[in-house]
Amino acid sequence: MTSPEHTKLVVIGGGPGGYAAAFLAADLGMETTLVDLEPNPGGVCLYRGCIPSKALLHAAKILSEARDAKEIGIDFGEPKIHIDQVRTWKNKVVSQMTGGLGVLSKQRKIKFIQGRATFLSSESIHIKKTDGTEITLTFDNAILATGSHPITLPFAPTSPRILDSTTALNLEDIPAKLLVLGGGYIGLELGTVYSELGSKVSIVEMLPSLLAGVDRDLGVILENRIKKHFSAVKVNTKVTKMEETTSGIKVTFEDKEGNISSEEYDKVLVAIGRKPNSKNLGLEKTKVTLTDRGFVQVNGQRQTTDPKIYAIGDIAGDPMLAHKASHEGRVAVEAIAGHKVAFEPQAIPAVVFTDPEIAWCGLTETEAAAKGREVMVVKFPWAASGRAVTLNRTDGLTKMIIDPTTERILGMAICGVGAGEMISEGVLAVEMGAIVSDLKLSIHPHPTLSETVMESAESFFGLSTHIYRPKKA
Amino acid sequence: MLTEFKIPEVGENITSGTAVKILVTVGQTVKKDQSLMELETDKATIEVPSSVSGVVKEILIQAGAKVNVGQVVMKIDDGKGAFAGDATTTPAPDTQIKPDAAPAAAPEQQSAPKEPTAAPDSQQTAKGSPGGIIEFKIPEVGENITSGTAVKILVTVGQTVKKDQSLLELETDKATIEVPSSVSGVVKEILIKEGTKVNVGQVVMKIDSGATASTIPAAQPASPTAQSTAAVPTSTAPVQKSAPTPQPNAPVMQTAIIVTKEVAAAPSVRRLAREIGVNLGEVAGTGPGGRVSKDDVKAHAKVLITSGAGRSASTVAAPPLPDFTKYGEIERKPMNNIRKKTAEHLTHAWSAIPHVTQFDKADITKIEKLRKQHSTPERKLSITPFLMKIVAEALNKFPQFNASVDMATGETIYKKFYNIGVAVDTPNGLLVPVLRDIDKKTVLELSQELNASAQRAREKKITIDDMRGGTFTISNLGGVGGTNFTPIVNWPEVAILGVARARMEPVYDNTGNFVPGFMLPLSLSYDHRLIDGADGARFLRFIVEAIEQPAFDGIG
Repeated sequence: MTSPEHTKLVVIGGGPGGYAAAFLAADLGMETTLVDLEPNPGGVCLYRGCIPSKALLHAAKILSEARDAKEIGIDFGEPKIHIDQVRTWKNKVVSQMTGGLGVLSKQRKIKFIQGRATFLSSESIHIKKTDGTEITLTFDNAILATGSHPITLPFAPTSPRILDSTTALNLEDIPAKLLVLGGGYIGLELGTVYSELGSKVSIVEMLPSLLAGVDRDLGVILENRIKKHFSAVKVNTKVTKMEETTSGIKVTFEDKEGNISSEEYDKVLVAIGRKPNSKNLGLEKTKVTLTDRGFVQVNGQRQTTDPKIYAIGDIAGDPMLAHKASHEGRVAVEAIAGHKVAFEPQAIPAVVFTDPEIAWCGLTETEAAAKGREVMVVKFPWAASGRAVTLNRTDGLTKMIIDPTTERILGMAICGVGAGEMISEGVLAVEMGAIVSDLKLSIHPHPTLSETVMESAESFFGLSTHIYRPKKA
Repeated sequence: MLTEFKIPEVGENITSGTAVKILVTVGQTVKKDQSLMELETDKATIEVPSSVSGVVKEILIQAGAKVNVGQVVMKIDDGKGAFAGDATTTPAPDTQIKPDAAPAAAPEQQSAPKEPTAAPDSQQTAKGSPGGIIEFKIPEVGENITSGTAVKILVTVGQTVKKDQSLLELETDKATIEVPSSVSGVVKEILIKEGTKVNVGQVVMKIDSGATASTIPAAQPASPTAQSTAAVPTSTAPVQKSAPTPQPNAPVMQTAIIVTKEVAAAPSVRRLAREIGVNLGEVAGTGPGGRVSKDDVKAHAKVLITSGAGRSASTVAAPPLPDFTKYGEIERKPMNNIRKKTAEHLTHAWSAIPHVTQFDKADITKIEKLRKQHSTPERKLSITPFLMKIVAEALNKFPQFNASVDMATGETIYKKFYNIGVAVDTPNGLLVPVLRDIDKKTVLELSQELNASAQRAREKKITIDDMRGGTFTISNLGGVGGTNFTPIVNWPEVAILGVARARMEPVYDNTGNFVPGFMLPLSLSYDHRLIDGADGARFLRFIVEAIEQPAFDGIG
C-alpha cells in the first residue's frame, strides 16, 4: 500500500445527502473527496429509490388515468404493456440523472472514488476501490452519509420470488399475484406500480391501518381507492410463515382474532422499513457513538461525538428522507466551514406518492393529540373544489393545524392528486411563521387545487366561499 | 453630488476583507441600504449596504479584491432629485448588526435600556426605610398597549422574588409578556387573580423589598448585581477578559445555542440569530402571532449588548491561557461572586464607555483645617464627606455629569437627585454603597452615614439596594497611597472622581516664591460620549477651587 493521501473533507456516501454536501463543500472552496460504491453520485434515491419509483409511478398514473377516462367517455382500449421497454425507460431516467451528477461532480473538481470506505481512526479511512486497489486517506473532516438499507424478514426464504424495494424496482416481470408485506409508503407506492401494470396485488399490515402515523382522515381516502384496485387489504394481520413452493410463495397469515389462513403468491415484496447503514464502517475505531436503533448520534450541526466526523441523512436519524439529508448535508458543510448554523427545520415535508398522494409537513393532528397540544384543525374537502371536480378526482382533503392562540400555521396535510406539489406552500407557511390570515389573504389562482389551501384558511374564520357552514348560535 | 462610498466598520477587529461579490454595476441605480457588495471577512460574509441612494458612477475594485475598512470602493452620484423622496446624505452607512459586530458598534448602541434603568428605578422603590412595601404596578410593556389579561401568576404570597424575576404573564392583544419584578423582596399580597384584566399602571402586587435583607442578611452581599459593584481599580491591572478554564487544544464538540422554545421565525431570521449569537427563544417577536423578525433579533442583540449579558456571545473569545505549570507551581481558586460581578461590570463599563481621564491637584490646607476643627477623638472626619458635598454642588452646576446616556433613544437622562457612591475596599472585594440626597445632608450627617455604610459593607450586611441608584462615584485611595490613578466610570453613571494621597509639595505663590502646599491629586474619568474635554476640565477645576476655598453653609 502506498503512503496515505490527504483530503480536507471526505464525504462517505454519494446519495442526496452526500453529494449535496460534497458539492457545497467544493463550492465553498474546500478540497473534497466523495466516496461511493456506484460509478456516479446518486445513492439509493437515484439508483434504487425515489427516482426509479417515481418513473414507474408515472407509468402507473398514465394507466390509471387511461382507465378512468372511460368514465368521461374516452376509451383507449386495453393497454399493451411492453415491460422491457418500460424498464429500459426507467433505467434511462436513472442513468441520465446519475450521469448528470457525475458531470456536476467533475465540474466542481471533486475527487470521486468508487469504493468502500472504512474508518481506521478518527482521522483516516481505508478505501477498497472497485477497481481492486486500496488506499488510505487521512482527512481534516469526514461526513458520514452512508444511508440505509431495507430490513429483511428473518423467516423469509431466500428466493428470487422474495423482493425488496431494490429488486422490485428492477421490474423483472409482472407477477400475476403479488403480496406486499408492509403498509408503509414504500409498499404502497410499489404496490400501486405493480397493480397498475397488471398484478393482482394484496397488501398486509400488522397495524390497524395502512400508513401508520398518518392522520386517519387522509389515510382513509387513500385506502378507499386502493381497496377498489387491490385484490385485498389486510390490516391487523401478521405474516407468520412463508414457504417457497414450486409455483410460488405460500404465506400464512394470522389476524387479530388469531384466525390462521394461507394463500400462495407468485412473488412477495417485503417492505417493512429501513435500517441505517452504520455497521461495518469501522466506527468502533472512532469516537462516534450510535443510538440503540443504530443511528449515529449527532448535535445540531450534525457533528458526531467524534468532533472531526459529521453524519447526515438516514444514518443520522428519522425521518429517512432525501430532502432532509440534503439539507443536513449543507448544514454540516457550513458548520465545518465555520459558519454559525444549525439544523433546525420547522417543517420537513413528507410525501407518499400513491394515487391519490398524501403529503404533510410540520405538526400533524395525530402528533398534536399524542402530545396533548391544543390545536385548531381546519379542513377543506375537495368535493367543494372546482378544479378537483374538473379532474374527476374529488377524493381529496386539505387540512391545516393551527395554534388557537397565535393563529399560527403549525402544520398542513393534504390527500389528493398532486398533494406532493402542493405541500411546499405549507412548508413555507410553517417556516415563515405565517398566521392563518396570511394564507387566507393571499390570492390563489383559480381554478387550481391550491385554492383548497386558501379556502381551508378561510374556513378557520367560518368564511369559506365554497363551503356554507351556518353560524353556531 | 458624487459620494465616495467607503467600506464601513463592520465589526470588532475587522479591518479588512475580500470583496467576494460586487452586487451592482456602473450606471445602476441603487437605493440607500441596498447591498453593494459581499464582503468576506474572517468572521463572516457581510452584505455591505449603500449609505446613499443614487447612481453608481464608478466601481474602484474588482470582485476578489482585498479591501480595508475606510477604503473608497465606489463612487455614487446621489442625483439631482432622482430620488427626491430620499433623504440620503447620511455619510455613515448604517451597518447592520453582523456577527461579532457587537462590541465595535458599542459606542452607538450602548445605552441604558428603554425600561427604567436600575438606578432611578431602584431609587424610587428603595425610598423609605428598609422593609418598605413596594406597590408593584403593571409597567409599560409596549407601544399602544394600555391593558391586558393576567393569564398566569407566576409567584405566590410569601415567595421571595428577585429583581427581574417574572411575576406574571400578561396577555395583550400584541403578545403575551412575562412581567418582571422591579425589586427583590417577598411577595406580600397579590391583588389580582389569573384571568383578571389589568391596566398599565395598576397595582397588582405588594412586595416587601426590605424583607430579603432583614430576614436573610447574610445571603444578600454574596450576590450583588452588576450595578452594585463599582469602578475603582483597587485591584491590580485593568480587568482581563478571563478565560474560565484553559481551552483544550483538541477540537471539541461545537456548542451552539439550543432553542428549546417553539419560536415563529423565518429561516433567514433563524440564520441571522445564529450568526450573531442570539437565542431566538429569548427574543420577543413583534410580528403577527408572535413572529420574530430580523429587526426583533437585532433589537434583542442591542439590549444584550447594553446590558452586557451577551458578552460571551459577542466579544472575541479570549485566547487559551498558557500552561503556567510549565514555569512553576500554581493554584486555581474560584472567584467569589463579588469578584465575578466586578469583573463583568467593569468589563462592560470599560468597553461601553469611551473614557477620558482629567488630572488636577487641589491645595487642601484650608479644608484640612476645617476637617481637624470638626474632628473629635470619637468622631474622626475624613475628607470624603467634604468632597461629596463639593461634588454634589459641581453636579448641580454641571448637570451632564449627573446623567446617563440612552443611545437606543438618542437621549440624555438628567437626574434631579444627587446620590454618590463611595467605593469601599472590603476583605471580600470592592463594594460601592450609595449615599442619597447628598445636597440635603450636612458633612457630619454624611460622615456618619458613610461610616455606617462602610461598616455594613465590611460586615457583609450591605444590601443590593444600598448599592443602587448612584449618580456619581468617588473612589478615595488616599488612605492607601499613590500619586494618581485612572478610575473606570461606574456605568450607567457618566463620571467618577478618583482621589489619591495628598502630599506636601512646593507651590509657587503669587509673589513667585515657593511655599509648601498640601496637594491632593484628583482624577476625573468621564464618558466622552456625553462630556466634552473642556467640560471635564471645567468640572474638575470647579471641584479644585471649591476645595481650596471651602465655603460650607455648615458642617454639622
